[in-house]
Amino acid sequence: MTAVRRLDLLDPAEVSALGGIEIVARGVVEGFLAGLHRSPFRGFSVEFTEHRPYQPGDEPRYLDWKILARADRLFIKQYEEETNLRAMVLVDASRSMAWRGAADRLTKRAYADRLAAALGLVLLRQRDATGLITFDDVVRQVVPARVKSGQWARIVRALIDTPDGGGTAAEAALRQLTGLLARRGLVVLVSDLLFDRDLVLTALRYLRHRGHQVSVMHVLDPAELELGGPPEVRYRDPESDASVVVRPRELARAYAETVQHEIGAWRTACRRLGVVYHPVRTDLPFGLALRLLA
Amino acid sequence: MTFLHPLALLGLAAAAIPLLLHLFQRRTPPEAEFPAVRYLAEAERRTARRLRLRHRLLLLLRTVLIAALVVAAARPLVPARGGAAHAPTALAIILDNSPSAGATGGGRLALDRLRVTAHASLAVAGAGDRLFLMLADGVARGGTRAELLAVMDSVRPAAVRLDLVDAVSRAARLVGAEPLAAREVHVLSDLQVSALGDGHAVRPADVAVLVLAPTDPVANRGVAGAEVRDGAVAVTLGGTAGAAAGAVALVVGGREVARALAAPGEQVSLPLPPLSPGWRTAEVRLAPDELRADDARPVAWRVAPPARAVATAEAGPFVAAALDVLRDGGRITAGGDVRIGAAPAPGAVVLPPADDALLGATNRALLAAGAGWRFGPPGTPGPLADSAGLGLAGVPVRRRHALLGTGGEVLATVNGEPWLVRAADLIVLASRLDTAWTALPATPAFVPFVDRLVNGAARGERPVRSREGIPGVTFETRGADTIGATVSGLDPRESDLTPAGPDTVRRALGAAPLTDARFAATRFGGGRRGDLSTLLLVVALLIGGLEMVVAWRTR
Repeated sequence: MTAVRRLDLLDPAEVSALGGIEIVARGVVEGFLAGLHRSPFRGFSVEFTEHRPYQPGDEPRYLDWKILARADRLFIKQYEEETNLRAMVLVDASRSMAWRGAADRLTKRAYADRLAAALGLVLLRQRDATGLITFDDVVRQVVPARVKSGQWARIVRALIDTPDGGGTAAEAALRQLTGLLARRGLVVLVSDLLFDRDLVLTALRYLRHRGHQVSVMHVLDPAELELGGPPEVRYRDPESDASVVVRPRELARAYAETVQHEIGAWRTACRRLGVVYHPVRTDLPFGLALRLLA
Repeated sequence: MTFLHPLALLGLAAAAIPLLLHLFQRRTPPEAEFPAVRYLAEAERRTARRLRLRHRLLLLLRTVLIAALVVAAARPLVPARGGAAHAPTALAIILDNSPSAGATGGGRLALDRLRVTAHASLAVAGAGDRLFLMLADGVARGGTRAELLAVMDSVRPAAVRLDLVDAVSRAARLVGAEPLAAREVHVLSDLQVSALGDGHAVRPADVAVLVLAPTDPVANRGVAGAEVRDGAVAVTLGGTAGAAAGAVALVVGGREVARALAAPGEQVSLPLPPLSPGWRTAEVRLAPDELRADDARPVAWRVAPPARAVATAEAGPFVAAALDVLRDGGRITAGGDVRIGAAPAPGAVVLPPADDALLGATNRALLAAGAGWRFGPPGTPGPLADSAGLGLAGVPVRRRHALLGTGGEVLATVNGEPWLVRAADLIVLASRLDTAWTALPATPAFVPFVDRLVNGAARGERPVRSREGIPGVTFETRGADTIGATVSGLDPRESDLTPAGPDTVRRALGAAPLTDARFAATRFGGGRRGDLSTLLLVVALLIGGLEMVVAWRTR
């Protein structure tokens, strides 16, 4: 018997080698959904559709107790979710996202694109209206949240059409984003968060104030968590051209502490705002990253 | 502080290597993109002070580590009371192996005690020291410790006397010329009074003289002198004052022929038995005592019939009177084998003619006889110098002719010019034997001189000579004939083993004698230093460990 390999649990770089965003996203979603017993994202209401005989493994809460009482037979009630969830995925396309710490890994942007596409597909299959916004120093692509057919293709196209490293994430783009999200819904921000924290938190606070359910996927390359490199190196910020000469071996411990401190600060700040925060390494399988949002 | 290897301090320049590497090895580092520079800057801001401190600490530790190793290699020495190390020292050891060092005291050879102390001095010497060893022969031997130890081990009591005052003066000058931090002279001797004399050693102020104290005095007797005189051997005894009298025996041909009892300072006469003509030897022996080397002394003499001598009228009244005395004493007989004042011919003793007008004829006769000498113009007056043992030394000469010529043998001189010459079987005198020419006829030495002249010199014989050396007799020959003998023996002063007192030693050598323990504690005292190299190596080890810890924590 041949073992079935679920793409959602494989190394992201290996999975990405199979094809473009659509292929990868579909494969990831298929595997991801196959591993679930129920819908990962519940809407505001569900609608009953039909009965079916109970099978071992079904959850008892879905048993139709009235039929059981009348006919002494086990039936399961099946529902169809309503398409009243509006989800918007925000993808950071700034220059710092187009970086990877090793040649055999995805750039943060590539990882974010595939994660966003997979997330969009999952949501659309649940008939949730799903949209996409890409941004750097300005908003680059906007795909309004829809549930109609071809929506996922438009999302994928928008991701592809957004160039790498167009600039740095700036206050203007975040203000514009909040303006585009007029109706309340689910907002998922996929970014490396390498910009002013107060600015981002202001935007997130505004979104929460507007009633949005907000999740932040903090994309990190493993090399950003553990400092390495030659004995002495000048590291240059691709966005600001600021540079610093360091000896990685000397600074590794202090750097790791600083990064963990930053992650902790983001987590604390998001918790205060009621924002779900997840640090995501670019070597984390997509399925596990999606499960963080479930 | 001084250093055993000061040149090693040049390595201190290496202490600058860490700083130079820090300054000149700052290369342009490779550049790379890194988005999280803000985290780096924050991490660096948090650790900059600590890292800077560690870097400076590392630089300091490495510099101090190198400096400590270099200084340790230079062997630093600091003044200290204990320890074996000392500053580079020029050391001269005077090991007195003169004959008296062969005396035994307490069952131990005096030289052995001195040798042990000398060994100890050399054992403490270091590679930076300059070493000399002076023995009784007065020769200063320079060399390494191993070389001098080898020499020292082979040293035996010698046959020559050592003048300690002169030896210390020369050794002090020798070490004083060495450009080292300290200079010492170790005097290892039995410190006989006779070895010090009345003089005092001259030494530079910075030369320390260490004198080993002598042991308790040992009584000794020795044969100080022996010579054949009037058919007997006159023996003079030497030794330590107060030593008991002992038997003195005369041995001829392995047989004891005479015996007497004598104490140091006394003289005895041991009669010789009748012997056939020729050169003879005998030995004067004492009963064995603490110093065996001076218990025997050889004698040599020639047994010959009295010369047949006559004086002409030209010789003058003094010579005639002397010959009468000798004839009466049986030292000569009548005959013409030796003719004093005669014309030049074999066996003649030629004097200047009383009339200067005859001087030319006499010179022609000398030339005809093949003497090779002639009378010249009048020479300057002066005292006689005797090189042949004729007893003439110091006798004034008022008038003389210069003797001109070559060849033969000069037996006496005046003012360095020949006065008595033997050549071609005849004797030529530069002065007449008259009180108008020389005071010799008026001195008691005149008759013995005439005796030796006719019985010895005129026959071509030389008087028996004596010299310092290993006891023995050496004969001098000419062709098949034996014409002289040299008797070797120890210097009679060696028999007196009385050691000098502390005051005498201090006066003569400029230092008080030291006991063995005090000597050991004082040697290299001028340059004794504690060696800091071990301590520095330990410090360097600790610094190295600390450097590793700091470097590991920095990384």
